[in-house]
Amino acid sequence: MKSEKKRIGVFVCHCGINIAGVVNVPEVVKRLKETTDAAVVIDHQYCCSDPGQNLIKETIQKEKLDGAVIACCSPTLHENTFRKTAARAGINPYNCEIANIREQCSWVTEDKEKATDKAAKIIKTLIKKVQYDEPLTPISIPVTRKALVIGGGVAGIQAALDIANTGYPVILLEKNPSIGGKMSMLSETFPTLDCSQCILTPKMVEAKQHPNITLMTYSEIDSVSGYIGNFKVKVRQKARYVDWDKCTGCDICVGKCPKKVSDEFNCGLSERKVVYKMFPQSVPNRVVIDAPNCLYIQKGACRLCEKHCPFNAIKWNDKDEIKELEVGAIVLATGYELLDKQRLGPYGFGKLKNVVDGLQFERILSASGPFMGEVKRPSDGKVPERIVFVQCAGSRDPENAMAYCSKICCMYTAKQAILYKHRVHQGEAVVFYIDVRTGGKGFEEFYKRATDEGILYIRGKVSKIFEKGDKVIVWGADTITGKKVEVEADLVVLATAMVPAAEKSFAQLMKLTQDEYGWFTEAHPKLRPVETLAGGFFLAGASQGPKDIPEAVSQASGAASKVIILFASDTLEHAPVIAGVDEDLCSGCGVCIDVCPYKAREIQVKEDGKKKTVKVIEVLCEGCGACSAACPVGAAQQKNFKDKQIEDMVKVGLE
Amino acid sequence: MTSFAYYPGCTLYTKSKNLDLCARETAQILGVELKELETWNCCGAIFSTVTDDIANQVAPIRNLIEAQKISNKLVTLCAACYNVLKRSNLYLAKAGNETYRKRLMNFLDTEYNGKTEVVHYLETLKYDIGFDNVKAKVVKSLNGLKVASYYGCLMVRPSEELKFDDPDNPVMMDDLFAALGATPVDFPFKGECCGGYILVDKPEVATKCAQTVIENMAASGAECVATTCPLCQYNIDNQQKMMSKQYNLPIFYFTQLLGLALGIDEKILNLNNHFIDPKPLLKQKGLLQ
Repeated sequence: MKSEKKRIGVFVCHCGINIAGVVNVPEVVKRLKETTDAAVVIDHQYCCSDPGQNLIKETIQKEKLDGAVIACCSPTLHENTFRKTAARAGINPYNCEIANIREQCSWVTEDKEKATDKAAKIIKTLIKKVQYDEPLTPISIPVTRKALVIGGGVAGIQAALDIANTGYPVILLEKNPSIGGKMSMLSETFPTLDCSQCILTPKMVEAKQHPNITLMTYSEIDSVSGYIGNFKVKVRQKARYVDWDKCTGCDICVGKCPKKVSDEFNCGLSERKVVYKMFPQSVPNRVVIDAPNCLYIQKGACRLCEKHCPFNAIKWNDKDEIKELEVGAIVLATGYELLDKQRLGPYGFGKLKNVVDGLQFERILSASGPFMGEVKRPSDGKVPERIVFVQCAGSRDPENAMAYCSKICCMYTAKQAILYKHRVHQGEAVVFYIDVRTGGKGFEEFYKRATDEGILYIRGKVSKIFEKGDKVIVWGADTITGKKVEVEADLVVLATAMVPAAEKSFAQLMKLTQDEYGWFTEAHPKLRPVETLAGGFFLAGASQGPKDIPEAVSQASGAASKVIILFASDTLEHAPVIAGVDEDLCSGCGVCIDVCPYKAREIQVKEDGKKKTVKVIEVLCEGCGACSAACPVGAAQQKNFKDKQIEDMVKVGLE
Repeated sequence: MTSFAYYPGCTLYTKSKNLDLCARETAQILGVELKELETWNCCGAIFSTVTDDIANQVAPIRNLIEAQKISNKLVTLCAACYNVLKRSNLYLAKAGNETYRKRLMNFLDTEYNGKTEVVHYLETLKYDIGFDNVKAKVVKSLNGLKVASYYGCLMVRPSEELKFDDPDNPVMMDDLFAALGATPVDFPFKGECCGGYILVDKPEVATKCAQTVIENMAASGAECVATTCPLCQYNIDNQQKMMSKQYNLPIFYFTQLLGLALGIDEKILNLNNHFIDPKPLLKQKGLLQ
């Protein structure tokens, strides 16, 4: 701490009438001149304006000041502005502090005299603080210019392509054997009715062939350590039992495999073999063996795939492989799942065969689906003559499931009903809805098209769904006529709520925050929607909340651009207002290590090999102050927030 | 022998004697005494939801105070009594209702703060006795009798207050019958309305409710029905004769089937008090001579 006194200038802003309307600014200036040792006290209409900033700069230079207090609005607004002004004037920017006399004084105090007193006191405490402020310089960190994108759906693919196209290497990680995500399961997309696969597969292939993209499918994250610019990630590449260098994706083994299990890609509506390719357009076009179901791996019998493989690609001794990656940024494109129908008791607990969810119906409509695109119902393969679509199944339902709107269901229900009518001309489609939300380009027109094509919309919630003979009975309310309605259907499609695919444990692995439902929390809901509060992690697609395809793609490009901005320089600056350790006082007790939320503190053994002290990993420290509060001997001190400073500020404040 | 305070309620003294008597008798066999409150009055019949309802709450709370002389647990049988007594008790003890509690106490002789725990006899069987112990006392296994357990509305709702079972798929009675050797029938109308009191005012509405439930039970393969509620028993039993298709589904109180399995006297079972005669079915199943 400096012993000689600083020459401090105080600049009091009127902020038009925001401050001066309540605080008597000339009186504040007068009092500060009389009662403090500030070298200069000046007021100005708008300190943040160009003339205001020039005045500050010129005064600092003319009066040879080495510290400044700007009494104005909250530091979250203009601290940066005035610190830059101070730096331009030639003083250390961290010796320029903000006294917040707007949000914390004029805006919240009615009595003019009290406000004037309070403003003067706030400013005095800050003069005290500046007196002890040390000159600080930002910390510089190197950046590994390589990105990891987690999740190979349309958002992940888009983010990976955008980053790769600017020349930086990208690793695209996917837990399934193929990339493509949920979009690859869809039949056609709203509101244009393009074939989903047709517009997605070119992107999948591009990602596979891109020289800057490394695909890691059938892989999951084991651990993540490090920090922005310098992550170390361990990836578990699951055993495939097939040598992908030899496999050509010819599918001969698939034909020979004798065992069938439920097909996840068709949402359980059909069966697949134990050695399988997810879908015909899989990227990479390779097969894997599903070990828990394999007759040879489990019981030592069979080996038919091995016998018939022309390329000798079956690899029984395959094991999970751990790969270590070093990356500078991580994009989370982990996507969504649908709410489990078992949670919807009144809709049959998922036990009724002819009650399917939105994705299952997409598979039913899909040309590569269980019925090759013919609309049939699961129980007996009959063509349904009447389908009831239930919107908001588990969405907008705070008592039983999710309180939020899943956003895409109104449009995909309209699309599914239209597609059903196109395939089954005499078929009847009935939609139960709470509201039809058509906020999107071409959405309202598309909804109009659905009603024009004879789809019956009933406003009201469905209360119960049950089987009667081979029909499914739907009970609901028609809230327009105020009557209870009963509809006899052959098939019911539930637009079940979207829920986040990333589990809590995964978020904890990343040390990221999720909202109460598990969607990743963005840094700011309006102004920083693709960043997270943890540096170096970016959000793409439905990992952050329900999204349709165009939104997921634009958010992915947004996340990619943030990664590119990060990679634009090979070093990063980190704010220096962080914790330090007084090694003479530190006993190495480690209390601060446990309380640090950023894992920025560790024990080090001094050179003499005896004394242990705590060391701060400066790039990780966010300057929250938890360690300073916890340290029993006062060795942990926050730079420019030292105990001595705060004590003196309190004293002045209470005078 | 463990003793619990027991509240029969008005219907169990008149129309539904078999629900009451079979419960007392089976409890005795299972080593529990249901000790009737020395004095008791109407439970209130319907949980009052009006704001100024001191008068309506005096009746149920009086019973809860009376129970304290015997035990902290008060066993009920009738679904309506269970619902009203439990909810009145929760309402009295709810944080923020201190003023209401004070006002209510002006009308009662004894200070009371909600410490009587209102339970249903099914809960006594499950948690205090244990279905395994019930099973051990079975002398006449119900022999695969296909029973639809009908809970109606009052046992399971409002679920956040009663916390009895999953309101959309209650299983406590089903589990009991499985322990007795019966085959529980799953059907999606376990918690639907039987028509209730609206029978008095709009019989056509009540008829529709009951008949939908009956059709659904029959379609699910039930041979008979079991309930905890006198009103459900009446509606499901009585409405069947008005239906165009005769399903002939006898409806029992759950205590009757329990009593049958534990071998209590046929007189106590009182199988004559039914519109749909259950005896042919029980004979066919070899459960009755």
